[in-house]
Amino acid sequence: MSPSRILVADDDSTIRRFIVTLLSDRGYEILEAADGEQAYKVAEHAKPDLMLLDLIMPFRDGFDVLQDLKRAPETSGIPVIIMSVKDREEEIVKGLSMGADDYVVKPFNSLELVARVRKVLERESRQAE
Amino acid sequence: MSEVLIQVLWVLGGVLVLLSLYIIANKALREMREKRAARIRRDLEPRILEYINGKGERLAALLPPPKGMERQVVEEVLLDNARFLKGNSRARITAACEDLGYVRERVRQLRNPRWWKRAEAAEKLAAMKSPKSAQDIIALMRDEVPEVRMRAARALGQMETRTSIKPLIEAFQDPNRWSALRIADILSGMGPEAADELVESFATLPIKARVAAVDCLGRVRSHRAAGLLIKLLSDPDRDIRARAAHSLGLIGDPNFTPDLLRSVKDPAWPVRAMAAKALGKLGRPEAVEPLREALKDREWWVRINAAEGLRSMGERGLAALVGAIEAEDRYARHAAVATLEGAGVLDQYVEKLASPDEREREKALAFIRKIVAAERTDHLMQTAARHAQEKVREQLSRILAPGEVKA
Repeated sequence: MSPSRILVADDDSTIRRFIVTLLSDRGYEILEAADGEQAYKVAEHAKPDLMLLDLIMPFRDGFDVLQDLKRAPETSGIPVIIMSVKDREEEIVKGLSMGADDYVVKPFNSLELVARVRKVLERESRQAE
Repeated sequence: MSEVLIQVLWVLGGVLVLLSLYIIANKALREMREKRAARIRRDLEPRILEYINGKGERLAALLPPPKGMERQVVEEVLLDNARFLKGNSRARITAACEDLGYVRERVRQLRNPRWWKRAEAAEKLAAMKSPKSAQDIIALMRDEVPEVRMRAARALGQMETRTSIKPLIEAFQDPNRWSALRIADILSGMGPEAADELVESFATLPIKARVAAVDCLGRVRSHRAAGLLIKLLSDPDRDIRARAAHSLGLIGDPNFTPDLLRSVKDPAWPVRAMAAKALGKLGRPEAVEPLREALKDREWWVRINAAEGLRSMGERGLAALVGAIEAEDRYARHAAVATLEGAGVLDQYVEKLASPDEREREKALAFIRKIVAAERTDHLMQTAARHAQEKVREQLSRILAPGEVKA
């Protein structure tokens, strides 16, 4: 079975490198995007199994990317976990109601992030069966 | 004369050439340093990240002892990652900073004669979050330079240890050296433990600091502060009463409603204004009528907050605002119309003027006539001039024509 592919979309290269190490050590294949525009393009072409999406990014913010992903039939099935410093209730509710599968507030606990990633991927594979 | 001039020009030219060479060399050196630092980072970062993610007991065991620029880069990588992590990974960063001697080094830097070096050390120590440095940062709060003192206070706030709360509360007691608002900001970020300590020390605080402390209790939203805040609704100082009402609204327990209903009749208008705002947040039906009454308050701020309070109470509150359009009191009418405008209710009725359903149109006409009678027609006049549908523009212009509706 091929490893699950996860797209990490964050303009902060330190965070990207951290998540790449964290998840590739656990057998996942990682794709990266450094801004909103790139995030959408990579998601559209590569159709990852999961996307970790930052909200504050250059060119297009995360909400905008999420909206377009969920609108297009070919990308609407990609599960998304939002990762953001935005921790207000209304932002979390907005993200989830726009179709995100989970919301992780920065600063985050790395083990918790791995557990959430695993849970979303397991749910998706169960649904696919 | 011309020889002297030529010599001066030669000297000037020489100085310029030397200066340019110095700038070029300096830039080249800086670029070389940056490239070297980037190379070192590329080499070391994977091992540091493995350690942060749980590999090995000590970072020192995964790296050769870092020296010179390597030492700087390792600290930089650790603190860069500390920005967005919490939990076990974050604790491992703190352990590495202690183990590799970065905490000790920065504590020494707290005694540097240059103030900006001391301030920088406080910031780095805050990011390291080592409890071993807490006492030294507390001592830095007595620094002679205000900026250093404030950075020390912020560092204590970020350390999130119980030992760092008390000195911050003590800082409240010296308003000549500390800005109470900035200290309150820092304490607000420290969560319920800071609220507990504030409640305990409240009686010892000077009056100016008390106002900021009451605000801080609301921002922390700790229910454990509720007893004190309710008591403060009867404080002799009106600012304290007002801030206590505001903070109770932020905590948001509907059980505070009876206490806030008393405050909405307080003799001081800032208290009434804050109580009206808080009651709107709590959303209890028994607050609707008192808030409707508060629309008639002689102070505009109270009226605005009462109207906003009603608006945030959903359907019940909006119905009360619609009822207030016909109030005898002119202030109440205007506050109600302004808030209904802001909530988009007025526009909803305007749209219904084009409805195919005659009853809907009649209802909309009746509502708009009430607005005209309330003598607040600016928004309607603008809509009458700009609305996309001619039918709506015509109807609005007719209602707005002088003599059409009697006040």
